[in-house]
Amino acid sequence: MQEKFIFCDPDKCLGCLICEFVCSAAKGKSTDPLLSRIRVVNFEPVGSMAIACVLCKDTPCVRVCPRKALKQEEKTGVVLVDEDKCNGCCWCFEACPFGAIAFNPQKKVVMICDYCDGDPACVKYCPFDGALTLSRIDEVAHSRRKDVFKEILKETAGKRA
Amino acid sequence: MFGYMGKILRVNLTDKKVSEEPLDRHTARKFLGARGLGAKILFDELKLGTDPLGPENKLVIATGILTGIPIPGSARFVVMAKSPLTGIWGESPAGGFFGNELKAVGYDAVILEGKASRPVYLWVNESETEFRDAGHLWGKLTRDVQREIFKEVKDETAIVGCIGPAGENMVKFASILFDFNHVAGRTGMGAVMGSKNLKAIAVRGTQRPKYADEEKLIDLSLKELANKGETTRRGCYWPDALDKYGSNVDYRYWQLTGRLPTQNFRKCTFPGYQNVIAETVSSTILIRTNTCPHCPIQCNRIVQVSHPYEVDPDYGGPEYETTAALSSFCMNDSLAALAKANELCNKYAMDTISTGVTIAFAMECYEKGLITSKDTEGIDLTWGNPEAMIQIVEKIAHRQGIGDLLAEGVRRASKKIGHGAEEFAMHVKGMEIPMHEGRGKKGHGFSYTISNRGACHLQMESDDLFEETPYPEVGIDETVKADRLYAGPEKVKLVKVVNDLFILYDCLPICRWTVYPDGGKRVETFAKIINAATGWNVTIGELMTVGERVCNLERAFNVREGINRKDDVLPKRLLEEPLPDGPYKGETIGKKALDKMLDHWYALRKWDKDSGIPTREKLEELGLKYVADELENIGPPRKAEKHSPS
Repeated sequence: MQEKFIFCDPDKCLGCLICEFVCSAAKGKSTDPLLSRIRVVNFEPVGSMAIACVLCKDTPCVRVCPRKALKQEEKTGVVLVDEDKCNGCCWCFEACPFGAIAFNPQKKVVMICDYCDGDPACVKYCPFDGALTLSRIDEVAHSRRKDVFKEILKETAGKRA
Repeated sequence: MFGYMGKILRVNLTDKKVSEEPLDRHTARKFLGARGLGAKILFDELKLGTDPLGPENKLVIATGILTGIPIPGSARFVVMAKSPLTGIWGESPAGGFFGNELKAVGYDAVILEGKASRPVYLWVNESETEFRDAGHLWGKLTRDVQREIFKEVKDETAIVGCIGPAGENMVKFASILFDFNHVAGRTGMGAVMGSKNLKAIAVRGTQRPKYADEEKLIDLSLKELANKGETTRRGCYWPDALDKYGSNVDYRYWQLTGRLPTQNFRKCTFPGYQNVIAETVSSTILIRTNTCPHCPIQCNRIVQVSHPYEVDPDYGGPEYETTAALSSFCMNDSLAALAKANELCNKYAMDTISTGVTIAFAMECYEKGLITSKDTEGIDLTWGNPEAMIQIVEKIAHRQGIGDLLAEGVRRASKKIGHGAEEFAMHVKGMEIPMHEGRGKKGHGFSYTISNRGACHLQMESDDLFEETPYPEVGIDETVKADRLYAGPEKVKLVKVVNDLFILYDCLPICRWTVYPDGGKRVETFAKIINAATGWNVTIGELMTVGERVCNLERAFNVREGINRKDDVLPKRLLEEPLPDGPYKGETIGKKALDKMLDHWYALRKWDKDSGIPTREKLEELGLKYVADELENIGPPRKAEKHSPS
């Protein structure tokens, strides 16, 4: 069984920032969105997407860390930050191809989504149906295939009749 | 000070000076913020007879305690100045990311004063304010301006509020467009900005206020967010209606109950309504929805049309007021033309309500021969001509030909045209009447007369909503008679309570979509949130008093400009002409009934019955002694003088 990851559907995400706040509240006990581990990108003027750690197999962040502060849990795939070892050099930032690592300006260490022990608060509070989900990669792929199929049906609706 | 940034930014455009002022603790508690704060600043700083388009006028953009707190509907801010459209108190609330970002650069409010010698825009980056040349942006459309500014400040996450050509040309009802499709529409705030040669304000910051009890605030906010289904539920319709259909969900309801403003208020049902109702929009031109920060409602529509008009989705889509003003009110049943007119209004930054009412006024003039095709340069202004409607929008924005006259709003235009045109100029105190039929819901109709910014649908909710929903915590109990056709003392009591409540909502500020009586008895929650944020101990009673205080202060502002009881009127058509068909056929408001309601209103407000001026007793009770002194200084009620609204 593959692990599930936080998946944002840009067609459904409206960039309301609720996930950012909920993450700061759950993880940092603060209303400061800078403490969020999930980040929303708003493309002007229409279109947005939330990005959190996607649990890569190949974890470039872990490999580049010069102080061995990052470690990937074997079972869940979550990357844990050892805050004592991390000195906020942010090499992992540059290595992460998704921009899924955030910097804690108070503690001066990096923050990576830890999936709230398998029940992410951001997914729970996302108000838009299906915008932010906890999905296996095959589920995402399958729903994509369904979307493509629907499109084809729409396009051929006239012809088939 | 907890809950606030504690600073106000004052920008003098004349000598390009920027200063910071502390926000006084007592002012904050007394007026809360946003609309209240702006009312205080403008009453204190503007002098009698200030020219709305002169350098002495001040434009205030203010946020409140709730701005930035992650609960649904809190992402609001209010733009205020003396209005060029009405010559009195002008205010225009808006949503989107700008308010939160303004707080994030460290200010509760910005005061813009003076006049720049050349076009400039303001770039506020983490408390650093910079004047930048806007010569090359002058004349450009709103979206292009915003994109250009992103490039120049090298920050795509900046939030930009800007005016379009309409604001530059000082169209009296020009608006300010924030963040692509959030608009501070009414009372001509865009013209004030244009008169100051200020093209745009861009803000970007990461600061945030300190909160007294952050943990409690988080708890309350999470509860509010989890509650999202409740906040969008409205008893009249169906759950999550706003999510699916946006504010335009009202359109069909008003049509079916015979209260849809149609043909400049001559009719109350519209045969072509099927073409423009929300269901049609959703199934044809809607491409996606949008929302404000921390709000699950997604009422914002985004539409795209390619034929017969090209409509750019960047400028959003029409909501209810726009739809009614530019369709039934002008008898236009083309959805594409409506979307196009809405797009143009956002492109040039003009208020869609005033634009629609002005076009309908012009169409009635054309029908009656007061405007001829020679005046319109060949445009055939017959009712419902979509092509003509779109051409006139262009003309108004650029003040070309007849557009120059219509850009003054219906009050001034009707005076100039004469020959009885004043009779069908649908305005109160100079502001065009919005899209709610006062004859079929008399509390709402009455609220147009007493609204401080002129005819406004946001000072009182439709009577229908209160018919089955008492709200005793604020004073709407069984003794209040909410029946939509009833126009007597108990209705006036309802209007007063809701008026105070709605002014309070603008002071917090909070979006009205999240606070409707059936889904959103939220004042108690707001009191809790304010207490957690600021460490105060406010009660519902104290909050309601703030609403009343701000209402009195705004009224005093208007009284200083020469407003008195004679200005609290409705156009003859709403007063005397009966509704022509539908379930409420034959209903009028009636001059006598209105006079009686006004008597009750002044008595309830403790204002002088003959002049409609707040009494010293009332003002002192509300802690506004200095306001009473100032009103006494300017002497007894005057007739409209040269400086006063014309």
